[in-house]
Amino acid sequence: MTPEFAVSARELRRNFGAFTAVDGISFDVRHGEIFGFLGANGAGKTTAIRMLCGLLPPTSGSATVAGYDIGRQVHQVKGAIGYMSQRFSLYDDISVGENIEFYGGVYGLSRAAIAAKSKSLLADLGLSDQRHLLTKSLPLGWKQRLALGTALLHEPSIIFLDEPTGGVDPISRRRFWRIIYELAEKGTTVFVTTHYMDEAEYCNRISIMHQGAIVALGSPTALKQEYGLGTVQDVFVHLITGTTDR
Amino acid sequence: MQQILYLVQKEFRQIFRDRFMVGFLFIVPIIQIFVLGNAVTTNVVNVKVVMHDADRTPMSRDLIGRFTHSRYFRVVAVEDDYTALTRILDRGDASLALVIPRHFQRDAVNRDRPAVQLLVDALDGNSSGIALGYVSEIVQRYQADAVLRDPALAAPMAGTHRAELEPRYWYNPELESKVYIIPGIMAILLVIVTIFLTSMGIVREKEIGTLEQLMVTPIRSYQLIVGKIIPFAALGFVEMILVMGFVYLIFGIGITGSIPLLFAEAMLFIFTTLGLGILISTIAETQQQALFIGWFFMIFAMLLSGFFIPIANMPPSIQAITYANPVRYFLIVLREIYLKGTGLSDLIPETLSMAVISLTVFTAAVLRFRSTLR
Amino acid sequence: MRRRLLAIIRKEFIHILRDFRSLMIILLMPILMIVLYGYGITLDMRNIPFAVIDDSNTPESRALVRAFSDNGFFLLVPERITREDVQRVFSRRSAGMVLVIPADFAPSLSTAAVTRVQVLVDASDSNVGTFIGTYSTQVLRLFNQRRGAAPPALITLEPRILYNPDMKSAYFFVPGLIALLLILISALLTSITITREKESGTMEQILVSPIHPVEIIIGKVLPYVTIGFAIGALILVFAQLIFDVPMRGSLPLLSLMSTLYIFVSLSFGLLISTVSKTQMDAMFRTVMATILPTFMLSGFLFPIASMPLPLQAVSQALPATYFLVIIRGIMLKGTGLAELWPQAAILAGIGVFILAVSIRRFRMRLD
Repeated sequence: MTPEFAVSARELRRNFGAFTAVDGISFDVRHGEIFGFLGANGAGKTTAIRMLCGLLPPTSGSATVAGYDIGRQVHQVKGAIGYMSQRFSLYDDISVGENIEFYGGVYGLSRAAIAAKSKSLLADLGLSDQRHLLTKSLPLGWKQRLALGTALLHEPSIIFLDEPTGGVDPISRRRFWRIIYELAEKGTTVFVTTHYMDEAEYCNRISIMHQGAIVALGSPTALKQEYGLGTVQDVFVHLITGTTDR
Repeated sequence: MQQILYLVQKEFRQIFRDRFMVGFLFIVPIIQIFVLGNAVTTNVVNVKVVMHDADRTPMSRDLIGRFTHSRYFRVVAVEDDYTALTRILDRGDASLALVIPRHFQRDAVNRDRPAVQLLVDALDGNSSGIALGYVSEIVQRYQADAVLRDPALAAPMAGTHRAELEPRYWYNPELESKVYIIPGIMAILLVIVTIFLTSMGIVREKEIGTLEQLMVTPIRSYQLIVGKIIPFAALGFVEMILVMGFVYLIFGIGITGSIPLLFAEAMLFIFTTLGLGILISTIAETQQQALFIGWFFMIFAMLLSGFFIPIANMPPSIQAITYANPVRYFLIVLREIYLKGTGLSDLIPETLSMAVISLTVFTAAVLRFRSTLR
Repeated sequence: MRRRLLAIIRKEFIHILRDFRSLMIILLMPILMIVLYGYGITLDMRNIPFAVIDDSNTPESRALVRAFSDNGFFLLVPERITREDVQRVFSRRSAGMVLVIPADFAPSLSTAAVTRVQVLVDASDSNVGTFIGTYSTQVLRLFNQRRGAAPPALITLEPRILYNPDMKSAYFFVPGLIALLLILISALLTSITITREKESGTMEQILVSPIHPVEIIIGKVLPYVTIGFAIGALILVFAQLIFDVPMRGSLPLLSLMSTLYIFVSLSFGLLISTVSKTQMDAMFRTVMATILPTFMLSGFLFPIASMPLPLQAVSQALPATYFLVIIRGIMLKGTGLAELWPQAAILAGIGVFILAVSIRRFRMRLD
């Protein structure tokens, strides 16, 4: 039985001492949706995503990811999701092929499955000849797509991307987003945080976070109409500076 | 299980791809054994002596000759100017000066007991104490021989009966300090490999973010810990075997006791140090911090292990601390098995202490590690 | 020029203070050592447990046992053992020495010129073994003397203990500790800091500014020199107050010589920073190239003369070897430049050589 929503958060809150990083947020993400999480640095995006991935227990509130409760079923959550952060998290000092093999093994894939997946992933990336190369010698854009590939080895139904395109050139970013679209078409839910406003335009729906709370949620078109502004960037600036001024 | 295998495989790949690391793991210990085995010595030999002979008789020359021929001393000069002696000591060109007075032979024969002055540079109290012991040994023998050679001198001795000592030094007949020190160096090497590699390895994964990546995979924290421990424990063992072989080849020191027992005890010890490594990794934010904390632990453990200073000679409060030091017990166990062939039945207190410490450290490490993971 | 220099120095001080934890850890080690070694810890032994196999069991043999047990060196364990038990006794470590008195001890003592008594020593700890041997000999000499059988003393040995009459370990240890600390701080921190700037790319930032490389080096190094100096002075005061370690020679001369030594150590650190790519690398290299050799081979703890020749040769290449002679000479012997100039000259020579090499390498990197 598939759950109604891929991700569903209710009053999710996280405090660090006296500081409230995430202030009781609630939202739902539909299956196969590209859901964008926007906000300035320190708005609480990363804390929220870490809670959803089971890296950080919430102070209060609840959430389900792929139908599993992030408090009680962390292990199942982790098996159902893929995760890639801005740091790419590949091992620099082992080869490209070895990285794929390692992450496949960690997700419990069989040797045969790893071999097959590895072959197709390398072919997709055009790295078949470079599989024995040390990962550190790859250009940043390639590393990033390789990291995404390894995070998808176990075919998760949801993938969390935490600022995946930080520091990457525009061409690579565009290629990266093409992969994201393909994923969504195949039914994978994509949950992505970013502060590139042009990327926000590519999302089905976006939520804008400010000081731990969600201040706006909807499709880019709907939000632009609501505030009568031309771009997501304008909406964002309007919301953030507006709330600060108040 | 499968996940653990992949973790172990990855760890080995990382270690062996790093040439610096391989060198560090396999060449440094050999150099260390060689240098430490020879340098860290409590034996005192080649003490530099300067002689002043105001008598110049066969008897005085005999006395000087005994220093020249002793392996404990090296006569650097025979100085005629008495006033120059202190300057030589001041400069550090010699650390002992022996002054044979005028009429030495005449006074000795007349049984007037001529005074032989000995100037001692006592900056290094320990070494000079030992050197003084050597001098008095030489002088004793000198007297005994002189008496034998000259019946006139022996007159008052006639009819006395002496007891004489016949010492037998078991396990180390030549009293060489390296026999004692080398098992200690093995312990140090094990500590280095296990504590540093584990803590820095984990902290590096924290720094580059792969640890976070691993944490979102369905891997369990115990699998992660086991996957980290197996490679480094294995390396520790390989390192130990390597060093043992090397010690046998170079220094001719072999294992007297049971090798399985030695390995079992080493396993217990490695468990403790790996636990410490994991514990450090949960405290340190950067590799540099891990290095400093690890270093601090190591120096602390070494100084308080009885390796450099006998524990019985430490102030009571510090002695109390040493009971919590796993290295203290491991050093005893290593030496006992290595040199004396002692069996488990005589090593139970040490083994139990290590087991308790190991369990405590490991539990603390795992708990802390798990809590940092979540 | 001066303002730029001051800017670098200030920045460096801020760095040091911010990473105070690391600095503290480096400093805790010497403090622990001072506590351990300074408090008159010797390798000397007291109350070594010993067992007796008395096959004679006569008043004479009991007198010999008493001679051993009554002097504080040895402690008799109340255990009846036979020759077969010796291995077990040593394995259990219930005794470090076994005195074996033969059955004919009493008659032999009154008829034969020499009666032999066996002493079995657990020499697995060579140090303890040596002490047991020395003490046993002393005990036996006393035993003979009391029985009027001492060999005649032909000569009297008159030792005059110079410089350190009470043979305190702190005298030996404190100057050595200063030498170790100075090189630790100067070489290690210098190499790590410069490599850190390289790693993080801030070095390039500084290099594109109009600062001369020499200014950079001076600016980076001066704060560490200051800290090194302050700590050295602190140890001196501490040692004088608590352990009565004297300062017999000239303080200005000592300061001058310490400056020379610090300069050599810094050059070492600089040289290492030119060949290291990462902080970790710099750390390992510095420890291997300066700190470990200084600790083990400079005469800091272990006498150089007792080492095999190749290691003695290595020790001759270490700046600390010469600085130790200098600092011990000035502090404890009250010697001056008249005696110490050869060491000072060698030290200066090493420093100039290394500095020249490292500046050359530093320049090359910049071009």
